Amino acid sequence: MPAVAVDAMGGEHAPEEVVQAVAAVSLQTDIECVLVGDAGRLERLLESTAYNPERIALVHASESIAMNDEPRSAVRYKRKASLTLTLRQVASGRCVAAVSAGNPGAAIAASLRELTVLPQLHKAAMTSVYPRAVEHIGQDPLALVLDVGATVRCTAAELVQFAVMGATYARVISKVAEPRVALLNMGRDATQGDEVLIAAHRRLRELSAISFVGNIEGHELTSGRADVVVCEGLLGNIVLKLLESVASAAVDLTSAAAPRSWRLRAGMAIMAGGSERLRAQADYATYGGAPLLGFEQVFIKAHARSKAAAIANAVKVAAKAARDGLVPALKAALTETQ
Amino acid sequence: MTSNGTPARRRGPAAWFGAGRRAAAPPSERVVFRWDLDKTYLLSEFESLREMMRIPFEKPEDKVAAPGVAALIRGLRESALGRGRAVRVYFLSASPPQIGRAIRRKLELDGIVYDGITFKDQLQRLFRGKFRHLREQVGYKLTELLKARSLEPETAREYLFGDDWESDPLIYSLYADIASGGLAPSDLAELLRGARVDPPLIAEAQQLATALAKREVVTRIFINLERPTPPAQLRAYGPRLVPTFNYFQTAACLFQDDVLSSDGVVRVARALVEDSHYEATQLENSLADIERRGHLTPATAASLRAALAAAGLLAPTPRRLSDRLFGPWHRDRRPKSTSAAMIDYRTLLGVQSAEGVAE
Repeated sequence: MPAVAVDAMGGEHAPEEVVQAVAAVSLQTDIECVLVGDAGRLERLLESTAYNPERIALVHASESIAMNDEPRSAVRYKRKASLTLTLRQVASGRCVAAVSAGNPGAAIAASLRELTVLPQLHKAAMTSVYPRAVEHIGQDPLALVLDVGATVRCTAAELVQFAVMGATYARVISKVAEPRVALLNMGRDATQGDEVLIAAHRRLRELSAISFVGNIEGHELTSGRADVVVCEGLLGNIVLKLLESVASAAVDLTSAAAPRSWRLRAGMAIMAGGSERLRAQADYATYGGAPLLGFEQVFIKAHARSKAAAIANAVKVAAKAARDGLVPALKAALTETQ
Repeated sequence: MTSNGTPARRRGPAAWFGAGRRAAAPPSERVVFRWDLDKTYLLSEFESLREMMRIPFEKPEDKVAAPGVAALIRGLRESALGRGRAVRVYFLSASPPQIGRAIRRKLELDGIVYDGITFKDQLQRLFRGKFRHLREQVGYKLTELLKARSLEPETAREYLFGDDWESDPLIYSLYADIASGGLAPSDLAELLRGARVDPPLIAEAQQLATALAKREVVTRIFINLERPTPPAQLRAYGPRLVPTFNYFQTAACLFQDDVLSSDGVVRVARALVEDSHYEATQLENSLADIERRGHLTPATAASLRAALAAAGLLAPTPRRLSDRLFGPWHRDRRPKSTSAAMIDYRTLLGVQSAEGVAE
């Protein structure tokens, strides 16, 4: 029975949705969840839902890190924060993986403080998934992008390591036999971009261990051309947030224009089902989570807006990552490509 | 309303080294354990009509008992006899007597010694043309419990075991409150009408309730959360009713009530590990859950952890410095009182009737 530590106080809908998620996981799977947070509050929430107590343990945390807390000082001064204690459950070996939907900056800072960085690695990478077009039946409808904020500026060597880690994750967890890796750039030409991107492109092309498909431009991100997209943290974070906002912005802009035209109103009514599907497809609150790669331990960061279903998925992904040997696979891949 | 099950109130720290357990019942007192069968003792599958139809044709060896329940019943009898107490184990089922032979054989296979088993005569009801009452539980079980009570000595204390599938929490609570005098027979008719009980059964229940000597006889009601229902949903029945997710939790509470030995709890845990492949973490989490919900004192939980660790079923837990210095005394909390709070049956029945639970 794998044990997954869950930060019960992290996220915009914590702890209610987190408790719902853990309760559902306890009834559906053999995963043991260690819920970390305000024990009294968690117990009251648990008692009001259907759950299996055999698969849930509570660890009390007297503090929590809010979404608007300054990450570094919050991690430094809130020593008993639920996020920190969640990661300690993994660092101590009590749990095989950790999940949090809390403050992303604090998640990175706390990971660097509590977890062990892989020996071969230069920098850790935060990943995220986003919806993309599917080119053939059976293709994963989600692509992986990294880094989305752990390492703001990167060297070429770091981008190469991100590519190796992303490809390994796609192979081990998403079961993509030969993941196609692309480098996010301003053009397809290998000589475009700055020195870092040009050097990274050259190194990736020379790497036989991964299937590098070259540079990918912004407008191609949602195509099925790449399974893993590599970029530095600053760019990745901007791209991710832009992607998140596109669907809802399109729907909202059309809705705002609709009252002015009866044709638009009629069109909106006909398209209502489609727009809802689009909004649902782009709703990150339903996706679960993606890992923070580069540590000896598995840590899945769920989106801050995650609801119970997404957090439950994140817990399942965390257990799967531990079960399927993600960390040993990452170590092997990094050693091989050194 | 008073209770026989109030916590021990011995004075001084020495009293607390008894691991927060309740005062033992006098050796001469008879202890009665009344069990429901389906979904409480047996893991009967009757979610669909097909599964229901299969039950009468099941062989005794095909019937599956809930994990740990047989070990618990055996342990309860042994603990009582070991303390020189008279003990009775009864089963009350809403299943037809036609499956009685298979059930009796199953109990024999499980090594259960019992003193009585009652089935609902469905055929007789069919012959009388009472189709509507084939599935009626409240009137049937309540009258059977009241009849059975009149056969016990007045001082006999009872523990009732049911599940969250039909109306056991309501039936057992009504019975406990009628027996204690907390619910007047005159109020009973209206409540039973609310539960859509067959009118002749209402009259019979009222008659039996009036004749019964009033005394607090039901110490605890255990509801096996088989569905599983959120425990908070059963809070309306007061602290006397304890919702448990497995029989290890039930055993731990019965140990606290001093009707099961720690060895009995260990045997239930061992049955879960050996027969149902439970892991140590599942036992530990179950114990922590029932403790958090206030049905077990930290001291009782600690002494059970030690017993389970000694038996090799749990990893030994390092004692805290404060525990080593002061023992369990300093962090002992009283268990939830088992005395019945005033239950608002009118509201409960209104809700239950709407959900069709009573029918």
